[in-house]
Amino acid sequence: MGLLSIIRKIKRKEKEMRILMVGLDNSGKTTIVLKINGEDTSVISPTLGFNIKTMTYNKYTLNIWDVGGQRTIRSYWRNYFEQTDGLVWVVDSSDLRRLDDCKYELDNLLKEERLSGASLLILANKQDIQGALSPDEIAKVLNLEAMDKTRHWRIMGCSAYTGEGLLEAFDWLVQDIASRIYVLD
Amino acid sequence: MEEGEAISSLNNITPSTTPKTLDPIAQSKHAALLERLSKKSHTRQSNPDNSPSSLSNPPFESTQSFLSLFSQSKLSIESHLSRIHQTPHPHSNPQLKSDLQNVSMSISDLEKLVAEKSYFLPSYEVRSCLKTVSDLKQTLDNVTSDVVPKKKFGFKNKSTKKDISLSNAVEKTQIGNPIVESENTGSRVWDSPGFKVKENEVLVKQFEVGSEEVGEFTLSDLRGCEVRLMGCLRALFVNKLRDCRVYVGPVLGSVLIEEVEGCVFVLASHQIRIHHARGCDFYLRVRSRPIIEDSSGVRFAPYCLRYDGIERDLGEANIGEETGNWANVDDFRWLRAVQSPNWSVLPDCERVGTVAIQSLES
Repeated sequence: MGLLSIIRKIKRKEKEMRILMVGLDNSGKTTIVLKINGEDTSVISPTLGFNIKTMTYNKYTLNIWDVGGQRTIRSYWRNYFEQTDGLVWVVDSSDLRRLDDCKYELDNLLKEERLSGASLLILANKQDIQGALSPDEIAKVLNLEAMDKTRHWRIMGCSAYTGEGLLEAFDWLVQDIASRIYVLD
Repeated sequence: MEEGEAISSLNNITPSTTPKTLDPIAQSKHAALLERLSKKSHTRQSNPDNSPSSLSNPPFESTQSFLSLFSQSKLSIESHLSRIHQTPHPHSNPQLKSDLQNVSMSISDLEKLVAEKSYFLPSYEVRSCLKTVSDLKQTLDNVTSDVVPKKKFGFKNKSTKKDISLSNAVEKTQIGNPIVESENTGSRVWDSPGFKVKENEVLVKQFEVGSEEVGEFTLSDLRGCEVRLMGCLRALFVNKLRDCRVYVGPVLGSVLIEEVEGCVFVLASHQIRIHHARGCDFYLRVRSRPIIEDSSGVRFAPYCLRYDGIERDLGEANIGEETGNWANVDDFRWLRAVQSPNWSVLPDCERVGTVAIQSLES
């Protein structure tokens, strides 16, 4: 009984995944996290610092770190890199003017050695807004094809406002991480 | 008999925890190590002058003599550095580079000396000497960057590139790189609807409920204009405005404002972010806390816009009620408990009162 519960506990602990959400300010990181957790998204202030959400997703426990994207606090992103299994880069697909800013910050992030093993999910958010760029167009601007061949990555469109595309995207991310980390399952 | 065996095997086990009675291989290794150590110590004692810097310390292994030698070299390095620093025209000195190299070498010699003698020095002395060495290295770095400006220049060069793309000096650029790239790739031209590059005009736009136009809208590079946006829209981007008055109906998503100066904004939205604003007044109704970053002299007051049907629009956008958030401003450049010096509440007597706008020019 005692041994069994210990084994169960360890097993449960092993099923944890650490996911880091970053991206420019106003891209919708916090809204995405609250939406997939089924929470109210009508009053969300720009994130000063970070939020942590722990949620169960299929048989895995996700620890999602949602870190503020304002320019002043981007330098603190590095404090959250350690032991990240999945990296979610959120893009405001309707903010055409700052796409080069977005590319610059993403390129910087991908140089980071501590994140080199993490699966990368790029969310082209705000697809519901008239005039937003499609995921393919975003991929072109961010030059994703030039990415390191060893990286597991995928770009997917979504809308945190309607919730469309979010579950498919997180399904991919969790499956990809699981296939790398929990090979035996 | 059995008992005796048990005892003798116990005797065999206990001493084996100490290194003396390990197996023969380990034992011989241990002996070799002791041999080496004693040899080393012997050479040190018989030949105290073998290290280049120990010429002046006849008493072997004395902390006192080491410290005096250490402080001597330290002084000489410091005087060297200050001489280099005070040379009137460092760039014209052909020996500058070799001088700096020499200093750097004597610093590393000093470091080596500390390491060499660390086995007999008290740990406090070792720590303080290593600290001194690292301070010297720092000083050398500072002097080098002062007299050899090359490095600095390279760094500056890199950052100006970014400055240009951000500065308001470039007035006629419409939208950044994405458009240019889209022309290259031959896909559709990425341009969002909006008012761009205008001067001293009244710009009016009415958003119809349910029309396909209700998406994002951009205001950029405007000077001395009055902007009236009526009806609901999804997102608003404001960039590079100067001396403008901007009146906007409810925004269902977020408003992002960058690089504005001397403007008045009347806005209702779910989220508002303000970057690089100077001397602007904001009349806001927001569902969440508005934020400012890199801004100064910005003042806040409650929303005060009127046009036909605004109550209905506000209700539809879920911002029919005053939240009081217009005064809950977060300054990302001022993360302290005391009030930020960058923003204030606009005094009652200076507020504009209710602003009523119409589609036609009044």
